[in-house]
Amino acid sequence: MHSRSVHLAALASFALAAGCADSQGPATRLNYVDPTGSGWRLVRDPSSTPERLVLAIVGPVDLDTRGVGFNLRAPAGVRFRSFDSSGWPIESTGVYELGNQDPCPPTDPYPLPNCLPDPHPPEPVLLAGGLKPGNVLTVGIFQKDRRVSPKPSGVPLARIALEVDPAAGLRAGAPLPLEVLKAKYSPEDIGAFSPTPTQEQAEKGHGVLFTLAVGTLTTR
Amino acid sequence: MNRTTLRRLAALAALAAPLAAAPASPAALPRDVQARIEAGRPARVARVERDLRARAAALGLGAADTLRTESSFTDEGGRTVIHLVHLHQGARVLGSQLVVHVEQDGALRTFGHALAAGIVLPGGPSITRDAAVAAAQVRLGARGPLAAEPAVERIVFPTRFSGARAFELASGRSSIHRGYAGPLAGLAPYVWAWRVHLQVHNALDGAADWSFVVHGDTGEILRADDLLRRATPAVGTGLGWHRGPVSLDMSQMNDGTYALLDTTRGTLPNPNLSYYADDGSGWTPTGMQVWWEEHDATGASTWNSFLFQGNASSAWGDGQPFTSFGAESGPNGQSAGVDAMVGLRTTWDFFGSVFGRNGLDGNGTTPYATALCTGMVPAGDSWWSVGAFGGYFGVGTWPLLADGVDAPTDLDMVAHEATHGVTSPSWDRYFVDSPGYEEAGLDEATSDFFSEMTEIWAARSGSDPANAIPATPGDGQIGRTFLRTGPLRWFDRPSRDGRSVDGWFDGVKYMDGHFSSGPLNRALHFLARGASATAGDDTHSIYLPAGMAGIGNDSAARIWYRAVTEYLVPDLTGGLTYDDAREAALSAAADLFGAGSAEAAAVEDAFAAVNVGQDHAGTVHAKVWFKPWRNGDYIEIDHIYSDDAGKRQYFPRGENVRPRITVENAADTSVTWSVGGPSMWNGADYYTMAGGRIEADGSWTTPFQMGWHAITATSVADPTQFAEGRAFLVNLDMDSDLEQDATDMAELSYSWYLSNGLNPSHSVFIAPWVDDQDVSTFVDAMKAAWPVP
Repeated sequence: MHSRSVHLAALASFALAAGCADSQGPATRLNYVDPTGSGWRLVRDPSSTPERLVLAIVGPVDLDTRGVGFNLRAPAGVRFRSFDSSGWPIESTGVYELGNQDPCPPTDPYPLPNCLPDPHPPEPVLLAGGLKPGNVLTVGIFQKDRRVSPKPSGVPLARIALEVDPAAGLRAGAPLPLEVLKAKYSPEDIGAFSPTPTQEQAEKGHGVLFTLAVGTLTTR
Repeated sequence: MNRTTLRRLAALAALAAPLAAAPASPAALPRDVQARIEAGRPARVARVERDLRARAAALGLGAADTLRTESSFTDEGGRTVIHLVHLHQGARVLGSQLVVHVEQDGALRTFGHALAAGIVLPGGPSITRDAAVAAAQVRLGARGPLAAEPAVERIVFPTRFSGARAFELASGRSSIHRGYAGPLAGLAPYVWAWRVHLQVHNALDGAADWSFVVHGDTGEILRADDLLRRATPAVGTGLGWHRGPVSLDMSQMNDGTYALLDTTRGTLPNPNLSYYADDGSGWTPTGMQVWWEEHDATGASTWNSFLFQGNASSAWGDGQPFTSFGAESGPNGQSAGVDAMVGLRTTWDFFGSVFGRNGLDGNGTTPYATALCTGMVPAGDSWWSVGAFGGYFGVGTWPLLADGVDAPTDLDMVAHEATHGVTSPSWDRYFVDSPGYEEAGLDEATSDFFSEMTEIWAARSGSDPANAIPATPGDGQIGRTFLRTGPLRWFDRPSRDGRSVDGWFDGVKYMDGHFSSGPLNRALHFLARGASATAGDDTHSIYLPAGMAGIGNDSAARIWYRAVTEYLVPDLTGGLTYDDAREAALSAAADLFGAGSAEAAAVEDAFAAVNVGQDHAGTVHAKVWFKPWRNGDYIEIDHIYSDDAGKRQYFPRGENVRPRITVENAADTSVTWSVGGPSMWNGADYYTMAGGRIEADGSWTTPFQMGWHAITATSVADPTQFAEGRAFLVNLDMDSDLEQDATDMAELSYSWYLSNGLNPSHSVFIAPWVDDQDVSTFVDAMKAAWPVP
């Protein structure tokens, strides 16, 4: 299937170049071929539908992380969409623990005999994103609580969704370049937890830049 | 249909439906009839309590819930007014209360905020009351001793009323400041809590009077209310030494000397003076009295205060402005004491003679004044302390400074402060008087209005009856001579001061109460004296261009007195609004004059003239308002740590964004935008800025200054209608790569719950800790700036 899609995409490119574009109808769907390699990459998620392409971010199997975020530019005619489940253009796969492990705030100046019930339904979490000018999707998912353990990252960690904008008039078979502008993950070692800040905490744990591989996106 | 109407309908359905409809109350009854009805008040209170117990289930109350009568009185028309508070397991449920009216014929009606139904809160607070006091003291941050033992009450606290304010003891200024907020997200709807009342009066801290709500399990400060009724440093009035010779009720003490202690006014001791020991001089905490603040010869306060006493004769004062620091108790200082006593006494007598009220609080509690202050209140200021049940009046800065202000002890200033004793008689019943609440403007306007009425009443001729307010116009001013260049505030067109506003708008609550009072001051002035139909007149309203006829001082004052004492009952949460005020006034007018009366119609027109509700003809205006906004939805939860909860929008700094606004009652919902807003005129909002460039289409390039920014949206269809909202600009670029994006959350993640000393995330807020508020702020700003369909 992948090799056939690539073949069709190549034919479409040739046809456009030859001035035969009118033979192709308007695109309504997206086709995606996963990138090769075992590093950080965006892969097609099984939850994709004919109308909506869902991509999952997957990391190296030997890397534990605490969160990941990236900026991805799509060409005109491709729309990023939000998930109903999160209200955001990013959806958690459940690998990262987003909540507060211990509901007792660790910094209060006096002892707390009891703490609030956990989990808190409205508890804010670091799962967010937005669509910046230039059709650039910026999304991130991070474990906020330093006491939560890092997670093996060689599995789908979060999802994003894309669609064809029917009004854009894209022709089927058109290649659509996806460009990763920036990607960062939160590393395994961010220093020991302590409510008292230390230099160790200041030096460790900054976001780590990495290369995020994307596959081949075409219309159909 | 507004909130109060809903509350009323709910209450009626639960309680009054089986009973006869209540008739309009008549005018004042003969005193013997009043006395007979008053004698039956305990029985009526008991009956109401029985009725409510029988209807407990219908009211949503469970086995652990009771209603306790907080206060009751019989008004001049024979109506018994009963204020009941809701208890759960014997503890007050803050903000849950009923006001019940029992008419002469026994008919019942209920008013006030809705009862909190379905509370299930077993156990009790797990931290001790001492721990709660300790937590409150940490928040207060006083360096000197407390002025009194802390008062502590175990309560059930609805967490939707959470709200913390910052305050600086040194300047006596309160403000919204995120740095004092705790991580309050995710609280249950009701929690156990302690109310803690703390007061300080000392050289290290100045004067402070605060009520705190402390979480009963975590010790967090859930709410803080400032109980000092401050005037702003630029406001005040009084040339008391100009009032000329007066006769005074005073006391001759055990040693034969005289004191400014009037035992004919006040039957209950003053709660603050009760802490003083009896010195054997004949002094008592029961009886109106005036004290003075001591200074050395240079004018430096010693932070001691004393009763004006030890005068060898019964003659006080020299009739001159004060200049004699170090000799405050002498004739020169006595002049200020005389003025304060006259103001306090006149206000007491006004409410007693006109409305039959027993003193300021209705119970005869002794008020007192402290004059010649420079420390307990700034020299050019005055305020009322709910906890002390007394007023503090500055010494003034003129004539020692040629461009200074006079001592604010003239009648209108003292009457203004003393009226706070009517609206906020105790720690258990007070108006919240802080920026962030419309209730603050209602409170200050009520003091302004009855101050004006007190002046008019006091100036009546000998032939005028003492139980009515003459029809003569007053001076229409507050602080008539305080500034020595003109009045502090005006009734006819409040914006003449350059700070107040003439009409209500969404966002008026952000103003200091002395300036958000403008619309109510104007409405009450119009109600009494009318409004002009001539554009350009000071009494012309763009919201009621045809003008209106006034109903006279006496009728207007009776309507508003009834409104604030019988309908507009504060529930300690600051929730009273201008809409509530209009409804209360309409109810009071219907009681006194009939629902279809000219007076009730005048109330409609007077409030419509300040952009509150429809006029009597039913004219509808467009309404522009900022709905509570978060995460793309209009909700009012989660961000609960400051007084303007729900009325904010978070945006990243230095980006192009689009604020949200709602327009109703107009086919054309478009608006024009501008940065800044009317609340910034008053100079009291030190933390809000106007910046960036906002286009007519609402596209706003935000400035780089983080913090609160005001933006204003004005209806295109009706340019008289506008709203001021708040946006908080944050820096999302926590990795300092000059881009604000979601990858910045990596830095927020690793610095969560670390102090700001060593992490970059404090750029979101200037906060001591990076916590869940920062998390929600980040994600809110992300979605507000760059929404995804």
